[in-house]
Amino acid sequence: MLLKIENLTVQFGKFRALDIHTPICIENGDRIGIIGSNGAGKSTMIKSILGLVPYQGKIYSTLQPKQIATHMQFNEYTDNMPVRYIMEAILQTRIAKNKELQELIDYFEFGGCLKKRYSKLSGGQKQRFTIIMILMQDAPLTFYDEVTSGLDFETRQKLVEKLVEWYRGKDSSLCIVSHYYEELEQLADKLLILDQGRVVDFGYREELFQKYCKRAVIVLDASEKNKELTADCKKLASPEHLLVLSAATEEEEQKVTARLVNHNVNFKRSNHDIESIYINAKHAYERKQEGNGYAG
Amino acid sequence: MQDKKAKKENLISVFLLKYELLHVAGNPYVHIFGVGLPVLLAMLITKVALSDLPGEQWQPMATTSIYLGMGTLIPMAVLLMGYAVSYAQELSRGIPERLQLFGINKTALFCNRALLQFLFLLLAFAVFFLSGCLCYKLQRPTLYGLFAYVLCMAAFSMICLALGHGIACVCRSFGKTYCVSIMLYFAFMILGGMMGISYQDLPKWVQSAAKLLPVTYINRDFYKIWTGETYNYIPMLQSYLFLGAVSGILLFLALRGNAGIGLRSRMHGSDSTFPCL
Repeated sequence: MLLKIENLTVQFGKFRALDIHTPICIENGDRIGIIGSNGAGKSTMIKSILGLVPYQGKIYSTLQPKQIATHMQFNEYTDNMPVRYIMEAILQTRIAKNKELQELIDYFEFGGCLKKRYSKLSGGQKQRFTIIMILMQDAPLTFYDEVTSGLDFETRQKLVEKLVEWYRGKDSSLCIVSHYYEELEQLADKLLILDQGRVVDFGYREELFQKYCKRAVIVLDASEKNKELTADCKKLASPEHLLVLSAATEEEEQKVTARLVNHNVNFKRSNHDIESIYINAKHAYERKQEGNGYAG
Repeated sequence: MQDKKAKKENLISVFLLKYELLHVAGNPYVHIFGVGLPVLLAMLITKVALSDLPGEQWQPMATTSIYLGMGTLIPMAVLLMGYAVSYAQELSRGIPERLQLFGINKTALFCNRALLQFLFLLLAFAVFFLSGCLCYKLQRPTLYGLFAYVLCMAAFSMICLALGHGIACVCRSFGKTYCVSIMLYFAFMILGGMMGISYQDLPKWVQSAAKLLPVTYINRDFYKIWTGETYNYIPMLQSYLFLGAVSGILLFLALRGNAGIGLRSRMHGSDSTFPCL
């Protein structure tokens, strides 16, 4: 175990930003995607682990503080000098003499940016600048808080591809906060779902998918024709413009997909769709709360 | 990797000093107010003062006296204003916290910054007195006078650094810090007799306030110490103690207020409750 959270609460005035009662363990090699809507407490949880916000509760760790690397949502640096000097000061090394760092700079195609000042870097270059230094920390546990937010689709894709490639085969643990589920599908094998500061669920992505969506989901447009066509199918909670059908068995799945193909309906099939996990876990949690009162 | 971590434990590091050097070099406030303004003001005031003097024999005394007093502008501009404004700007952008997350603690950052600021002060004083020597005839100090001046300026610089750091930590924004520090800067100049009104010409109640500031004594009396005349240090010492205590308290309160950002070190391997306050 690298880190364990127990009964963690964070209060900002009268507002309780975080109220975690379910114990959360981060094990060696875990790749945890932290999801939830804005204000769910994702960044607050990371900040409390780092001691950046006042909190009450227990956080156990076997790690030294410097063994945790963090990419915050907003990373700022001085603008008084080119970024190469900031990098050298932070990493306490000379770029020219450090092969590992040179390789990382090349890997992230950052060489041409070293002479620029931080404010002159593009959004993607700014993210890569921090990521290079974080990867140089070679920490057993790394937090990435919305590492791709504000980036265009192509830059986002490239950055995530680089990260996936970098971490492949490594046993470092990652906690990734993101609103882009397709990124988490590539990077995370566990999910921590937060809502209004509380833990909705935490576990392996496959187990959560089984729990809330069964074998597979079939996603199609929520048109009147499609609603009629799937009237007898088991539906899951979904965004208004979509219909998400749940298939518990292979036969059930084949029956539904055959019908959709016969009627020339476009659909998407998935057995790991994080959006469906999130919506249905939250839906189940809300129903449980309505029934039992607050559960934490 | 362990070596890398070990290097970061050192309070003073070559890389951080280089970082701070570039940081100071890129801060226009310290160049304008810390070097340019004292040199320019000292030259202008000396020129005006010399034109009013009855005889040439008084010129070295007047010039030296003005330069010794104007020297206090350097730590005020570099530390009380330049450093404070720059640090407040960094705080508002979360830069010290970002560096802390990379394992560079605030103490190390402060130590490297303070060392570099003092080196910059040395350079600024050298430029200041060199320009004075080139343009006017400054009187040579006695060894004791020079030592006393260095000591007084070092102590005053420390006070300015503590005040600047404290103000930045309390205000945490460029605008507020700039406003407070520039008000103090001009207040010190006016009360210290550097804005054309000497201590003797100030109203009695203003004199009481001026007595509490080291700048008053440095500007008014330091020529005596510089030339080795006997001097009663008690009032000057009291002013140092007073301003030192004020800046010390401000710094203490500011650091206490910032203690909430105590990065994660308290959690390691422990199982107690950690209210991070």
